[in-house]
Amino acid sequence: MINVIADIGSIALGKLIRMGEALLMLLQAIVVKPKLSSISRLIQQLYIVGVQSLVIILVSALFIGMVLGLQGYTLLSAYGSEQAVGQMVALTLVRELSPVVAALLFAGRAGSALTAEIGLMKATEQLASLEMFGVDPLHRIVAPRFWAGMISLPLLVAIFSLVGIYGGYLVAVDWLGVYGGSYWGNMQQAVDFNEDVLNGMVKAVVFAFLISWTALYQGYSCIPTSQGISAATTRTVVYSSLAILGFDFILTALMFGGTI
Amino acid sequence: MKKRWLELSVGLMMVAGIAALITLAIQVSGGSMSRNADHYTVTALFENAAGLSPKAKVTMAGVVVGEVVSVGIDPYALKAQVHMKIDGQVNYLSIDTSASILTSGLLGEKYVGLTVGAEEDVLVDGDVIEDTQSALVLEDLIGQFLLNFGDNT
Amino acid sequence: MTPKGIIEIKNVTFYRADRAIFKNLSCTISTGKITAIMGASGSGKTTLLRLIGGQLQPDEGQVFLFGQDVALLNTLHLNQLRSRMGVLFQSGALFTDLSVFDNVAFPLREHLNLSADDLYNRVLLKLEAVGLRGARDLMPSQLSGGMARRVALARAVAIEPELILYDEPFAGQDPIAMAVLQRLIKHINAQMQLTSVLVSHDITEAFAISDEVILLGHSGVLAQGSPDELKASEDPAVKQFIHGEADGVIPFHFAAPPLQEELRGLNHD
Repeated sequence: MINVIADIGSIALGKLIRMGEALLMLLQAIVVKPKLSSISRLIQQLYIVGVQSLVIILVSALFIGMVLGLQGYTLLSAYGSEQAVGQMVALTLVRELSPVVAALLFAGRAGSALTAEIGLMKATEQLASLEMFGVDPLHRIVAPRFWAGMISLPLLVAIFSLVGIYGGYLVAVDWLGVYGGSYWGNMQQAVDFNEDVLNGMVKAVVFAFLISWTALYQGYSCIPTSQGISAATTRTVVYSSLAILGFDFILTALMFGGTI
Repeated sequence: MKKRWLELSVGLMMVAGIAALITLAIQVSGGSMSRNADHYTVTALFENAAGLSPKAKVTMAGVVVGEVVSVGIDPYALKAQVHMKIDGQVNYLSIDTSASILTSGLLGEKYVGLTVGAEEDVLVDGDVIEDTQSALVLEDLIGQFLLNFGDNT
Repeated sequence: MTPKGIIEIKNVTFYRADRAIFKNLSCTISTGKITAIMGASGSGKTTLLRLIGGQLQPDEGQVFLFGQDVALLNTLHLNQLRSRMGVLFQSGALFTDLSVFDNVAFPLREHLNLSADDLYNRVLLKLEAVGLRGARDLMPSQLSGGMARRVALARAVAIEPELILYDEPFAGQDPIAMAVLQRLIKHINAQMQLTSVLVSHDITEAFAISDEVILLGHSGVLAQGSPDELKASEDPAVKQFIHGEADGVIPFHFAAPPLQEELRGLNHD
């Protein structure tokens, strides 16, 4: 019995140490005076992390919006209030689905790629080689990728929301014949910019932080073998997905939970 | 050339993202950022505030002019005390304005409707609306109807 | 300043997990020569290279690089020392997101403030020296293993260092690439008057170009001397390594309890 408790303690301590390491890594990477040359590296990473995720974000957003429009219409027309479909689509997307789905896709698309790339750089001694040239790999490799993630995901979430709302419009208005004016009108009455849109963006920023941090730490600390890299890539996707869903609940409770 | 394309596409993504956010602000939320803007608070005492909750709309002539902040009990009058914040631009509510609790649709949400009176003086921050009409309670209504029905026969 | 050598290792002990890689190891690498650090796999050759480069810290003892104790330097000073040396990693370690040209230009951009023209010329000269001027616009993924290593060599010598460390330069190369690398290392060492340290287990190639050989084994230095001295050595461990005998004083088995005790069902009680 005591052994079991001791084991739990040692596992917990181990996790705590890893968290501490990960935090230190991040602090060392991002607490630095920015140089002019780092801008072009940031742009390159924005391209890889952000632009290359656009297609999957656009396609998923369109389909999710269309499904919401269809489901919302079916559900609401049973109560004769199908003109509220715009409100339903917009609130669902802006508050919840856009940040969460975009973040999950981003973790799978960009997070795993970041982990694999950095793990491979470690395996091929590129990180060690940077160090021998007197360049800190945390500043050169980790920092631009971190900021690229932090900038890209909120933008992608905003795009996701908008495309999803137009997807819902396509189905509800163009296809099922809801009056376009009430689609937008109900939506505008129900959606508040500060409370709904900005809170969704706050979620996006938090998720961006969680994904970038997890992906970079897993890559940087992986065992530099093919097995080690594949295990680290899997861990990135699993850990960041769990973190996204967990934090989403906490944030939702704080933002929309009202007075508890 | 390749580098130009890279910079261009990143720039396009940033512009698209920011444009999406602006569209969300204007087209989707209708620019309704006014809730944090200038406003004043008035209180109304109702016999019965059943179903009214914070954040319910406060309307005048069917137009939203504010929202309910809180619903509580006035321990002296033993009535429901409803605090409302009213948009600062709506500064022409006379002191004999009446407030009633209304329902949108048969089973819809409750909201407060204001009807302006004839007095010259207007309500200011902290004022109390005396003339109120309580929420319609369906059970009472049915009871009354049955009673009248019984009398007539 | 220690007059004796560019690298001075004093009583270094280094543990990886619980296993001692080095116990009380001391050696000196003298300026201007090609020194080969040799030994069987697992004898800690690469570890020694990392200790010299300051990427690892010894548990005990000191490593002097250009006369300074590496362990006592802060990052800034360590980087200043590192700008005086070049390293050729085992896998080449070219930056996969940069072209051949940018790879060679990398240390120049980091450490020297050259004008665009000077930088361009210098990179071309270094690439010319390894015979790959024509490959300057290729990406590392388009190079063969031997070419990648030559680019890495050009990169390592680009800042014209005083010291260059080679980690297994010959491993996994075909005979022609091996001969090319051998010639390049010798040529560069003579031409640029630098000190070369190479870690290798390819006896023929390493002996052919080095002036001095340090043979590692048993957690320390087995022997040090010129290639000819080592070939003439009567020490059984040295002889076993040089002549490539499977059995000898260097054990074939990884440290383990006796086999009798480990096999199941044979317990002698």
